[in-house]
Amino acid sequence: MKKLMKALAIAAAVLVAQGAHAEDKKFTVAYIAPSLDIDYWQWVAHGVQQKAKDLGMNYVEYTSENSPAKQMDNARVAVTRGVNAVVIGPVSSTSTPPLLAYLAQQKVPVAFAGIGPQPGQTNYTSSVTANNYETGLAQGKYTCELAKERGGKEVGMLSLPQDRENAQKYLKGAKEAFQANGCELVQMLETKGLTINEAVTQANDLLTAHPNVKAIYGMYDQAGSGAAKALATRGLTGKVGVTVADGSPTTIQLLKDGAIQGIFFQEAVGQGIDATEQVYKALKGEKTTQNMALVMPLVKAADISSDAAKKVIARVFPQ
Amino acid sequence: MLDADLPLLSVRNLQKSFGATRVLRGVNFTVRAGQIHALLGGNGAGKSTMIRIMTGGIRKDDGEIMLGSQRGAEPKIAIVHQELALVQDLSVAENIAMVHATAGLTIVRAGQRAELAYNALALLDPHLARSALHRKAADLSMHEGQIVEIARALSIGADVLLLDEPTANLTAGETERLFAVLRRLVRETGIGIVFVSHRMKEIRQLCDVCTIIRDGLTVVDATPLDSLTDNDIMQQMGQPGAREVAHSRRRFDMAEAGLVLKGAEAVIPIHKGQILGLAGSPAGPSQVIALLNGTGRSSSWSLDAKGWPARPASPRDAVALGIGYVSGDRRHKGVLAQLPIVDNVLASRRVREKRYMVRASERRECLDLVHALKLKAGSIRDLPSTLSGGNQQKLLIARWLGMSLRLVVFEEPTRGVDIGTKRDIYDLIRRMAEEGTIVVWWSTENVELLELCDEILAFDTDGRVKGLLPHDRFNEDALADLTGMAA
Amino acid sequence: MNTKAQPMTSNDSLPPAPRAPSILSAYRSEMAIAIACIALLVGVGIFVPAALSAGNFANILQASAPLVIMSLGVLVVIITGGIDLSVGSIFSLTGMVTALAMANGFGDVSASLAGLGVGLVFGSINGALITLVGLAPFVVTLITYAVAASLAFIVTNGRSLGVDSPDYWLFNSGQIIPGLPNFVLFCLLFTVALEFVLRKVTAGRWFYSVGSSPMAAYLLGIPVKRTRFAAYVISGTMASFAGLLTVSYILNAEATAGASLMLQAIAAVVIGGASLSGGSGSAVGAVLGALMITIIQNGVNLIGINSFWQGSVTGLAILVAVLIDRFSHR
Repeated sequence: MKKLMKALAIAAAVLVAQGAHAEDKKFTVAYIAPSLDIDYWQWVAHGVQQKAKDLGMNYVEYTSENSPAKQMDNARVAVTRGVNAVVIGPVSSTSTPPLLAYLAQQKVPVAFAGIGPQPGQTNYTSSVTANNYETGLAQGKYTCELAKERGGKEVGMLSLPQDRENAQKYLKGAKEAFQANGCELVQMLETKGLTINEAVTQANDLLTAHPNVKAIYGMYDQAGSGAAKALATRGLTGKVGVTVADGSPTTIQLLKDGAIQGIFFQEAVGQGIDATEQVYKALKGEKTTQNMALVMPLVKAADISSDAAKKVIARVFPQ
Repeated sequence: MLDADLPLLSVRNLQKSFGATRVLRGVNFTVRAGQIHALLGGNGAGKSTMIRIMTGGIRKDDGEIMLGSQRGAEPKIAIVHQELALVQDLSVAENIAMVHATAGLTIVRAGQRAELAYNALALLDPHLARSALHRKAADLSMHEGQIVEIARALSIGADVLLLDEPTANLTAGETERLFAVLRRLVRETGIGIVFVSHRMKEIRQLCDVCTIIRDGLTVVDATPLDSLTDNDIMQQMGQPGAREVAHSRRRFDMAEAGLVLKGAEAVIPIHKGQILGLAGSPAGPSQVIALLNGTGRSSSWSLDAKGWPARPASPRDAVALGIGYVSGDRRHKGVLAQLPIVDNVLASRRVREKRYMVRASERRECLDLVHALKLKAGSIRDLPSTLSGGNQQKLLIARWLGMSLRLVVFEEPTRGVDIGTKRDIYDLIRRMAEEGTIVVWWSTENVELLELCDEILAFDTDGRVKGLLPHDRFNEDALADLTGMAA
Repeated sequence: MNTKAQPMTSNDSLPPAPRAPSILSAYRSEMAIAIACIALLVGVGIFVPAALSAGNFANILQASAPLVIMSLGVLVVIITGGIDLSVGSIFSLTGMVTALAMANGFGDVSASLAGLGVGLVFGSINGALITLVGLAPFVVTLITYAVAASLAFIVTNGRSLGVDSPDYWLFNSGQIIPGLPNFVLFCLLFTVALEFVLRKVTAGRWFYSVGSSPMAAYLLGIPVKRTRFAAYVISGTMASFAGLLTVSYILNAEATAGASLMLQAIAAVVIGGASLSGGSGSAVGAVLGALMITIIQNGVNLIGINSFWQGSVTGLAILVAVLIDRFSHR
C-alpha cells in the first residue's frame, strides 16, 4: 500500500512538473476552417499563422469539411491537445451554439473570422467579420453608378446561394442601394458550384435574357471573373460595368485590365490577424472587442497601384 | 366439397399480340383436379406466352382465365422453372418461409419457420424434410432443389402446379423419384399438374392427357394420351416426324489424324469429320469442354494435335485455333442479348477472321445464314429476344456455320428446344461433320447421341470416364448403365 | 456456304426481304430527344424571345462542350456495363496540372499533354483495377474519384490558378476551320468518330458485346478485359480533354471545376438512351442528352427560375427519357 502511494505521489509530481513546464511554453492557437478547398479560408489561415508567429504563439490548423459534426470533433481534439485559444471560421452560424458552450466550459477563448456566431450568443471573445449589409449598400451604390455612367439603369446580379446569411445581407444592402439610386435589379442568379465556368454560363444567360443590363454585381470572386469573361466574349468589356466582392489575384488582374471596375475587398488575411490578436488579448487578460464588423474597402481600377490599395491588398491575401 | 365438374383452371380464347405478331390467336386450355396434364407445342407456338399470361407476367389482349378452387381459398397457380429460383445463400427453411412473409418487416421465429418448411417438405419427401431444412440451397443437388421449389410452390396453397421442363437437369433415378412424388401428390391432394417437356418418353410415363398448341391456337385440347400415337403428336405440333435416320455412317478418313484427347483415364483419337459424343451428367463432360473452349486452365485433359498447344489458353486462343463453341445455356453463354441478330451471328467471324471493320457485306452474309437455317426472324436488326428459344439456338450455331473450323464443341445444344428444331440442329451438326470439322457434343439425352455420334465417351455422375463406345456397340441400355442417366 | 434446299414444313417461311435500314429507324430514340430539346428551347423562347437568338445558341454550345465530350467517354464505359465516377475529378485535376505546368514554364502543348496524361493515367488505373484485379467499377472509380479530387487540391493547395499564356484561349475559341469555333469542331469530331467506331468498327461492337453478356462475349473469343480496359482509358482521357477545353475557355483552373459534371455526364448518357446495365447507347444520344441538360440550365436561368430548381427539372427530364425509352421498346 505504501509502495502504491509512493508511486502515485511520484506520478502526480511528474504531472505537475510537466504542467508547470507547459505553462512556461508558448501559447497555442488553433484555426478551425470550415473547409480548406476555398482560397478564402486559406488566406484567413495565413493571417492567423502570421499573427501567431508575430505574437510568439504556436499554430495548428483543422478543417471541418463543411460538416458541423467534424467541426465539433475538431474543437474537442484541439482542446484535448492543449490548445489555448481558438480562431474559427464556422461551417455556419447556426452550428455555433454547442461549440461555444463547449469552449466556454473549457475556458478557451474563441474568436470568429469571416462568419460570425448565431445571433443571441454572447459567450465568445470576438467576432471579426465583414459587414455584409454595409458592403452590400456600398457595392450596390457603386454598381448603380456604373450602370448610369453607361446610360442605363438595369443591373444584374450573380449571387451566392441565398440560403447563406451573408448572401441575404449583401442582397438587402444592394437592393436598398439600387432603389435609393434609381436602378432596377432585373435578374439575380444564384451559384451552386462557385466555379468560374458556372458564372460564365450564368452571366451569358443573364445578358441574353436582359440585353439592356449595364452593370453586373458579382457577389463572390468567381462571379466577377465569370462576368468579365462573358463580356469579353461578347465584345462588351467596359460597356457593361462589373463590380465584385472578395478579391483575388485573378480579379485584381482583371481590374488592372479594365475588365472589372471595382473590387470590394474582403480582408481575409486581416480577419485572421484581428481575430488572433483578440484571443491573444483575452489570454493576457487585456480588454477585447466583441464585435468587429469590417466594411469591405473598395478599390477602383484607377487606384490599384496606390499605396492605400497595396495596404488593403496586403490584408486580403498573402503576398 | 369437391365439384369434379369444375375445372381448376380454364383458359378460353386467349389472345395476345406483340406488335404486329399475333402470338396467341385464341388458345383454350383446361386443367382438372387430379390430372397430370402435358402441355406441348413447338418453339414459337405460344406456349410460353400463355404461361406468362397465366402467372401474371404479362397482360392478355383478350380472352378469359378462370380459376376454380377446390379448397375454398383464393385459387393460385404456381410455376417451377427449369432453372431453380432458390436464393442460394439462404437455408432451405428460409427459402420456403420466404414466400409466406408477406410484409417485409414480419419477424419470423426460426422455430416457426422450420415448422412451416418441414410441413411443406414432408408432404413430398419426408427424408429430405428431416435432413435438409438447415442446409443452404446452394448445397442441394438439382433434384433436391427441385423438390424444395415444388414444396415451396405448394405451401402457398397452389391448386395448379406448372412444371416447366423439370427433368432437364435430373438423372434417370432422380427423374423416377420426382415422378413418383408427383403421382402421389396428385392422388392425395387433388391438385392439377401441368407438365411442360419435350421428352416424349417422360410425357408418356407421367401424364394422363395432353394439350397441344400450334401457331397460337389449341389444336389438341385435353385429349387422353393413350389415344394419341407419337406420330399423331408430332403431326399436330407441326413438326416433321422422325426422319429416316441415315444409319449408313459417313466415312471419315481414319488415316487422317485429327487430334488426340488425352485424359488421366483415357486417350481418345478423334478424326476429321468425326462426331464424338460425351454422355453423362455435367461433371465429366464439362472438363473436356473447358479444355476445348479455352476456359479450363486446370482441366485434367489435354490435347495432342499438330500445330496446337496442349490446351488453348483462352476462348480467344481457341477461336484463333479454329475451335467453335455452342452452348445450350443461351442466356449466359450464348446470346448477346442487347445486340441485333446480325452482330450476334457475325461476332465469331469478326474474331476468327480478324475483321477490324464492320463490313457492308455482312448484312448479306447474315441474311444468307438466316435463310439457310430457316430462322423465323423479322429483321436482322431485331434483337435476339424476338426469336423463340429454338431459333436463338440456331442463331448460335449459325455463328460457326460455313467457317473453316477444325473443331466445334456443342454443349447441350438441344436444351429446351422442341422436337422439330432438334431435328434441324441434328442436320446442322451432321453437316458440319460432313464438311470435315470434328464435332464434340455433350448431351444429357442419350438417345440423340446414339442417333448421331460415331463414338460416345461415357462419364458417370462423379465425372469419371466409364468407357468409349464405338458405333457398333451403341446400345441405349448399355449407355444408361454407364452414365446412370436415361432419356 | 451450303444453301441447298431443305425439306420445308408448312409453317416454315423465309424471312421477309431485308428492310432498307433508314436513318430514321436507326436513330428513332435520338430523334425523340432532339425533338424534346427543340421543344424545350421553343418553350423557353415563349417566355424569353432571346432564347432563340444565335447568341444564345452559341452560349448553349459553349456551355455544353465540356459536358458533351465528357459524356462521350462515360458513354463508352456505360455501354460496357460499367460506370465511371472519376471523370469529374479527372476533369478538375487535369486543369490544375495543366495550369501548374504552365506556371512552371512549360509550353502550351507540353502542359496540355501533361493534363491529358492525368486522364490517361487515371483511366488506366481504373481499367487495371477493374479488369486485372477484378474489383467492381463502382468501387474502383469511387476510389479514383476521391483520390483525383484530393490531388486537385493538393497540387496547388486548393488555390485556383490563372493561365497567363497569351495564345492558350485559341485552343477552345480559335477557329481552325473559319466560322466554326474549335470547341464545336471538337464536339463534332469526337461525336462522329465515336459513333463510327461504335457502329462500324469491330472493336466498337465489342463494347456492346461485353456490356450485353460478358460471359457470352468471352466465350466467343472477344478480348473482354482489353475492351473494358480501353473503355476506362477512353473515358478518363475524354474527361481530361474536356478539362483542357474549359481551362482554355476561362483561362483559369479550379480544383472544384468538375465536381458537378460527373453526375451530369451520367445523366446525359442515360437521357441519350443508354441503359446502366450495359449493352446499349449511342454517341449521338449522349450528345443530345448533354445538350438537353445544358438547355434546361440555360432555360431556367433565362426565365429566372431559382437555379436550385435545375436539379429537379433535370431529374424530371431523365425520368421522361427513360420512360420514353421503356415504352418505345415495348
